[in-house]
Amino acid sequence: MTEQPTPGPGFIDAASAALADPAAVAQRDMLARKTPLLRQQVVDEFGEFEALRRHVKRLRQHTLDNLDHYLRRFELEATHNGNRVHFAADSQEMNAIVLDICRQHGARRIAKGKSMVTEETELAAALQRERLEVVETDLGEYIVQLAGEKPAHIVGPARHKSIAQIRELFLAAHPLGERKLDKAEALVAEARQVMRDHFLNAEIGIIGANALIAENGYTMLVTNEGNGDLCANLPKVLIVCTTLDRLLPRGEDAAALQRLLARSATGQRQTCYTSFYSGPRREQESSGPLETHIVLLDNRRSEILASDYREMLQCIRCGACLNHCPIFAAAGGHAYGSVYPGPMGSVLAPLLDSLEAHSELPDACTACGRCEEVCPAAIPLPDLLRDLRHDKSREGIGPRGWRRGLRLHAWLAARPALYQSLSQFAIRSLNLLGRRRGVLRFLPFASGWTGARDFPSPQRGTFMAQYRKEQDRRES
Amino acid sequence: MSHDSRKKSLARIRGLSSGLDAQTIAQELARLGAAPVAQPLDPDPIVCFMANVLRNQGSLALAADRREVVKAIGKYLYRHLRNNRLVAGNDPHLAALPWREGGVLPRFGEIENGEKAALSYAHWGIAETGATVLGSGKHNPPANQLLPEHHIVLLEFEGIIPDLEAFWRAEPLRRGERPRGISFIAGPSSTGDIEAQLVYGAHGPKAWHVILLGKAPPGALERARQLAGVPGDGDEAAL
Amino acid sequence: MNANRDKPPRVSLFVTCLADLLRPSVAFASLRLLEEAGCLVEVPQSQTCCGQPSYNSGEYEASIPLLKHNIELFEGAEFVVAPSGSCAGMIREHYPKLLQGEWHERALALASRTWELTSFLAEVLELPPIKAAELPAGVTYHDSCAGLRDLGIREQPRALLRSRFRVDIREMDQTEVCCGFGGTFCAKMPAISAKMADDKLDNAEATGATMVTGGDLGCLLHLAGRARRQGRRLQFRHVAELLAGDFDTPAIGEPE
Repeated sequence: MTEQPTPGPGFIDAASAALADPAAVAQRDMLARKTPLLRQQVVDEFGEFEALRRHVKRLRQHTLDNLDHYLRRFELEATHNGNRVHFAADSQEMNAIVLDICRQHGARRIAKGKSMVTEETELAAALQRERLEVVETDLGEYIVQLAGEKPAHIVGPARHKSIAQIRELFLAAHPLGERKLDKAEALVAEARQVMRDHFLNAEIGIIGANALIAENGYTMLVTNEGNGDLCANLPKVLIVCTTLDRLLPRGEDAAALQRLLARSATGQRQTCYTSFYSGPRREQESSGPLETHIVLLDNRRSEILASDYREMLQCIRCGACLNHCPIFAAAGGHAYGSVYPGPMGSVLAPLLDSLEAHSELPDACTACGRCEEVCPAAIPLPDLLRDLRHDKSREGIGPRGWRRGLRLHAWLAARPALYQSLSQFAIRSLNLLGRRRGVLRFLPFASGWTGARDFPSPQRGTFMAQYRKEQDRRES
Repeated sequence: MSHDSRKKSLARIRGLSSGLDAQTIAQELARLGAAPVAQPLDPDPIVCFMANVLRNQGSLALAADRREVVKAIGKYLYRHLRNNRLVAGNDPHLAALPWREGGVLPRFGEIENGEKAALSYAHWGIAETGATVLGSGKHNPPANQLLPEHHIVLLEFEGIIPDLEAFWRAEPLRRGERPRGISFIAGPSSTGDIEAQLVYGAHGPKAWHVILLGKAPPGALERARQLAGVPGDGDEAAL
Repeated sequence: MNANRDKPPRVSLFVTCLADLLRPSVAFASLRLLEEAGCLVEVPQSQTCCGQPSYNSGEYEASIPLLKHNIELFEGAEFVVAPSGSCAGMIREHYPKLLQGEWHERALALASRTWELTSFLAEVLELPPIKAAELPAGVTYHDSCAGLRDLGIREQPRALLRSRFRVDIREMDQTEVCCGFGGTFCAKMPAISAKMADDKLDNAEATGATMVTGGDLGCLLHLAGRARRQGRRLQFRHVAELLAGDFDTPAIGEPE
């Protein structure tokens, strides 16, 4: 990244702003109801879904424990298949490698498939700065590209957009005369028509990968639209941008992943296209890329591997935690200020970037546990978020008042006599203030509570004090 | 630059890895056993495959022999496109079809933009998911499965295997053959990107038609239709 | 199932800080229910709080003395019962996570004997049926997340309510979705928390019930406070109060 992005508003402010748009709120509410049902249906009919989840978790664990072995094997096999394998330490390096390949081929037009890794490195912007034409070919990515936005969801980048909003974007971008475009079908048909030329004219195709298969050097890509396959097969050069933790040992392990991923991500039994690419076109073939590159990004993943957050590398980017998180539903993906939003993003963004830059994200969680329950990799997301809060505390990040108050509370609670006499005094005072209305409308030092809701008045004295009195009465 | 990064990343990862030898790692992996498979819709893999094709918004035709394959293709093309043209890859399985008997005019090679229908030969069909498995290479230019509006796939009943793992255990791959590309295709191209509504006919084919060649078990198609909740139209599949 | 045991079960009541401070009637109701079920109930006097506020905020070091205090105070009990899924879940799931060595072992031992009230009454004991009385209003049950997901509490409180009353329990839509309380979350992110509460309250109202009950005071205080702020006509009571037949104490957030 050559330019530092200006820091946006924090999560809390951005979420409040997002909640002020009723149409957008309604759209997110609709998705928050719909997407869990889609998943539930295919999980229920699967049979041993829990066992599948456990199997893939053990598999990913095993792969990460032996990452050195599998990464080397993959590099060897992929090179043998005719690919050029590159390693990139950070975003800047990945973008530079891709740009370099484009320049070597004198390329001007790039057809790009959906890839969260390239969102992480802001590859499209880096290429466009060098006057290359980059078209996002995934429909969702294309829509957010037209809107000049970033994806709001890692699986459905433009789900936050309504049909009416997408219609406006298409009418402005495509000079196709008068037309209705008031249904999803019509929008999809128009995108198909417009996109064809991009596929046919692009000199370079860029795609991501859902997995890298160590034993045979294949990269795996899962899509519904078929755009990834078009990017991978039509242009003369293919670049696969992915990260060095995406490994799986064998083809059959990809099968297990495929089973879990489709169901968790979109509630499908299988996506329309699951493709494995080995490398460049071979003798006697009339089509297919002449040159293929695989760029493996590290970008702190090897640091995460060394940290207590290692389990986070088991994430398969299905988006189930986003679909099931009520905070994601309320705030929307953009509020997170990170390409990875929702529970997984609240863990990843501080790790990939910095805790300071994303200091509010670890708090964006009620520990309701729904994400962990549906996570195909069974990643204990609420625990990892709590651990990040612990890191915040140790590093002194975030408001000091909260930290002091909570420490004081814990200190007091470990001193029962003092705690009980102070609390009895406070509670009796609050009862006097609130007993007539039943609630207090405002409490000093608790405006976070009373800003949004009344404070139910306490009863007359603490339980411990009342109970003691009753015991004394019984004894006398 | 990339070389330095390679060294650095690999060195760091090596320090964090188990350091076990390849044989021990292979043994550990083997101990993990096999992944569970989706509960089959029906005990018969052929019924499962057909039901899943239908659930994936595909259409089906049965053909007892090669003559019937061509007839089924002719009928499909007339019904949907009112013509008799299609593009087929240079696959010996396709070249050998008795084309004239069905009145179909195939062009062999790679699809040009604008051509509406293409035919591919699939070696495998996965009962678990209803996917047809196509290898890309000189016999099957991938554009043929990506650019047409109508993608027709020919598959023999013998090619139906129970699950995804069975594909990876299949002989040619075990022998070390690696097709340039392998595509599991399970339906016409689709997208859920607009308001999470599933819409078919995104960038790739709008329709996906599977023709099964060979002797169908009696009643299999009817059972598959029932399981998929797709009523028979008595036309497409009743050859 | 333990109805025929020789000795009555010895239960230490974990009052929870919210019941202690804001709603003692919940703790008194819990006491009565446990005694009715034949338990010998003790209330350890120097109890305060389970430690969730600091623990969940990542103040691990500050929480540890409190956790150890609670372990020492409660580990002699045959059973520890709390009228809260979240506090019982804290002791069962998180005490062992945070503590190491000898304390880890002691935490595990305490965890294995700790129960949430309704699951204890439904799974370990038999609460004698009382004369079937009519509950005053249509009731909807709010499942709290910790109870639901950490402890598997869903049917137990509903079954208990049905065993004691002629009651019309009306199930909410989206009952597995969080209400937005989340401890300090509700004060740190009030706008999101309020939106989540509104969704929950809308779902509750849509059932036609006039009473929202549940096993966790945190959720109920948050929901009642929001409902009062908006002038909604729902009432809120902890399930222990309902089960004990306490309808006289003003409902949460209502005038005395």
